[in-house]
Amino acid sequence: MSEPAAPAVDKVLDCAGMSCPLPVLKTARAIKELAPGQVLELLATDPGVEPDMQAWTSRTGNELLGIANQDGVFHVLIRRAR
Amino acid sequence: MTWSDDSQTRVLYVQTHGIDDPGRSATPFFLAAAAAAMEFEVMIYFTMYGPTLLRKDVVDKIGPRGDQGEPLRHFIEQATGLGVRLLVCQPSLALNDLSLDELIDGVGSSAGRRSTTSRSRPTP
Repeated sequence: MSEPAAPAVDKVLDCAGMSCPLPVLKTARAIKELAPGQVLELLATDPGVEPDMQAWTSRTGNELLGIANQDGVFHVLIRRAR
Repeated sequence: MTWSDDSQTRVLYVQTHGIDDPGRSATPFFLAAAAAAMEFEVMIYFTMYGPTLLRKDVVDKIGPRGDQGEPLRHFIEQATGLGVRLLVCQPSLALNDLSLDELIDGVGSSAGRRSTTSRSRPTP
């Protein structure tokens, strides 16, 4: 899941310090505030966020652009599909 | 309150514990919210002592951690905000000497409707 060029982020959702399932719940709500095609960046420290967001994007059809762990914080980029 | 006819993926949670067991009050709402976030169609069915958790005069006074942490209303609204629907068992209202008017807004009753449980399907 490498990114040649980082996509522009339209909204940042900071869920650092929150545990499962809060990042998923907040992402599900936040993505609905974006227009299709826009990109959400989720920040989270819960180690479950990686499998959770893979499952969530796979199930909801939103596009997982990448997950990067920077100093213990996961940066998850998601493009709203519809 | 019934299931939509087109949903392929429905989850029904059944809440049987009430205000006497606040430690069990919030988790069903949490689980239901997570399922709704995954875009399942979700209902929570309150039966036995479950309907007592939806009393207007209760939701701000109890929570899973007592006086610390968020009140039950927070967990309820987290779930309903994601589309979770709440359904009470009509005979269980009588069991707890409650009427629908005493519950928070938006709660549906099973009375006089097609059976919710018979129309739900197990989810793998």
